[in-house]
Amino acid sequence: MSSEVAEASTSNMAVRVENLSKVFPGGIVALDDVSIEVYPGEFVVVVGLSGSGKSTLLRCINRLEDPTAGRIWISGREITDSEGADLRALRTRIGMIFQQFNLIRRHSVLINVLSGSLGRAPLINSLFVRFTEEERVRAQTSLERVGLGDRGASRADALSGGQQQRVAIARALMQRPELILADEPVASLDPALRHSVMRQIESLNQQEGMTVLCTLHDIDLIERYASRVIALRDGQVVYEGKPERFDAATFRQIYGEDAEPSSHLDR
Amino acid sequence: MSRNSTALDQNPSALVLAMKRVRAVAVDVLLITLMVVMVDFLTVVFSGRRGPTGLLVSPEESLDLLHYGWAFVAALTLAILWQSTSGLVGPSPGQSLVMSQKEPVHLPWNQTLRGWFAVLLIEITLFTGWLITEVQLVTFLTQFSKAADIVSGLLNPSSTVLHQGLVLLVQTIFLAFMATAFAIPVAFVLSFFAARNLTRGTRLSRLTYTFVRAGMNFTRAVEPLVWALIFISWVGIGPFAGVLALWVHSIAALVKLYSEQIENIDLGPVDAITATGASTLQVLRYGVVPQVIPPFLSFTIYRWDINVRMSTIIGFVGGGGIGYILKPRVDLGQWGEVGTLVLLIAVTVWIMDILSARIREKII
Repeated sequence: MSSEVAEASTSNMAVRVENLSKVFPGGIVALDDVSIEVYPGEFVVVVGLSGSGKSTLLRCINRLEDPTAGRIWISGREITDSEGADLRALRTRIGMIFQQFNLIRRHSVLINVLSGSLGRAPLINSLFVRFTEEERVRAQTSLERVGLGDRGASRADALSGGQQQRVAIARALMQRPELILADEPVASLDPALRHSVMRQIESLNQQEGMTVLCTLHDIDLIERYASRVIALRDGQVVYEGKPERFDAATFRQIYGEDAEPSSHLDR
Repeated sequence: MSRNSTALDQNPSALVLAMKRVRAVAVDVLLITLMVVMVDFLTVVFSGRRGPTGLLVSPEESLDLLHYGWAFVAALTLAILWQSTSGLVGPSPGQSLVMSQKEPVHLPWNQTLRGWFAVLLIEITLFTGWLITEVQLVTFLTQFSKAADIVSGLLNPSSTVLHQGLVLLVQTIFLAFMATAFAIPVAFVLSFFAARNLTRGTRLSRLTYTFVRAGMNFTRAVEPLVWALIFISWVGIGPFAGVLALWVHSIAALVKLYSEQIENIDLGPVDAITATGASTLQVLRYGVVPQVIPPFLSFTIYRWDINVRMSTIIGFVGGGGIGYILKPRVDLGQWGEVGTLVLLIAVTVWIMDILSARIREKII
């Protein structure tokens, strides 16, 4: 492939990762020559054991981690070496949702949602926690969208786990991102609450057209929400394809011979 | 960006092991030298040797007569001998402390050479300490009557100094308060530079960390009394010199406490705020500050409490507060008045202690 063609196809992609490696100090290899492509509007689910490099992959894409080698493009622009204001501008376009919600526990729910607009807010005002009326209205709208319109004044840590994760989604929504990175968004939630959070993420994907790159453990959720599955093992891509083809044999290949896929796959 | 990691990062075991060996030998040499020198000391003191004045040598004088060089050589020999025969006699103290080597089976202390060495070292240290500090048990137990005046004075406080004492007590409390208040903003800013988890990014930030840490450790190591002497020559005798002395010391102490709190924060919110595209200051304001405000408040109140106690001593050398009128009365032996002042201080410290504990309980 000539470089011109490569550039042209890159510009169509929401995310393109090429030969990405990450070695942590101490020599632990988290990612080993990973290349993936994500097209706009996709709901890509990354699966793999703990320690397979899923989180590191996501954290390299918005540069919470600096990769050791390889290149990353977001919407056709290379961001591997972005720094300073450039990097911050990039991050405002990428929403991130974490397993542990990572809210500011002692602040109100509304302030937590408003913190999603920090990348675009004037510095001095934001240091005194002053936000514009327009931002407050948008924050309230985001909260209503995740079904927590009446909880804006509560302290964040007064909410249940599922509610806190919805606040985190509202915070990401506040950024008006084109890409959502969701790192195990439902792993610390009660199984009964998982679908309510996943449906919120799905609606961002289907109604707002945001591209989603999400790591998940639960095979039921993968089948239900993913448009494509990428599997990592020991920092390498070992599977890529439609969720329908993601069967018990593939599951064992990824998770090892001792792994037990959920029962209905064997039926 | 750290793109190139050297071979040393990948495989540190050989170098680390060699470093540990060296440290183990150093620990052994230190301990055995101590032991040999103290045995030498006891030998000299009990040898009946006489000094140039014809009297028996005192423990102080005998410190000049010891064979430090020989002790070191002997210790080095013994340490190497012990470590090379550790398969036979069990690991040396250095091997056990630095390299966590243990006997394959658990043995009581009196069945290992290391155990006997430790017990002997402690006993000889006690014995040496007894001689060096000139402990006189008999005098202590029989000569109380000489101090009875002081104790009776303390138990019968005189009222003549009560009014002046109360006035200066107010000054003491405000002195401590101002020192604490002035220290808060300085310590707050410095503590972010002294927190390891926030200063890993660039070489400059790591350098700043080392610099701030070293500066604060030095400042804290210098006693407030010494700071008081410095500031008394600077701004003159009086409470302001005391404020400055406690201010400097409080900054150093608060930076340590504050930065340890920052090092203990949950980094999740920091990641989350960073991921929104926020700048460094915004990340600190939203990701770090909300997590550390309650412990900061608690430590600050505790510091005020400590400063009230310290300002008494500061007053002894002219730094204002109640200590200022306490010192001359101690020198003149006016024990009744001393008693009044000591009581005032004790009650204040006691009340501050209870209040600060109560408030801190509520905050955390």
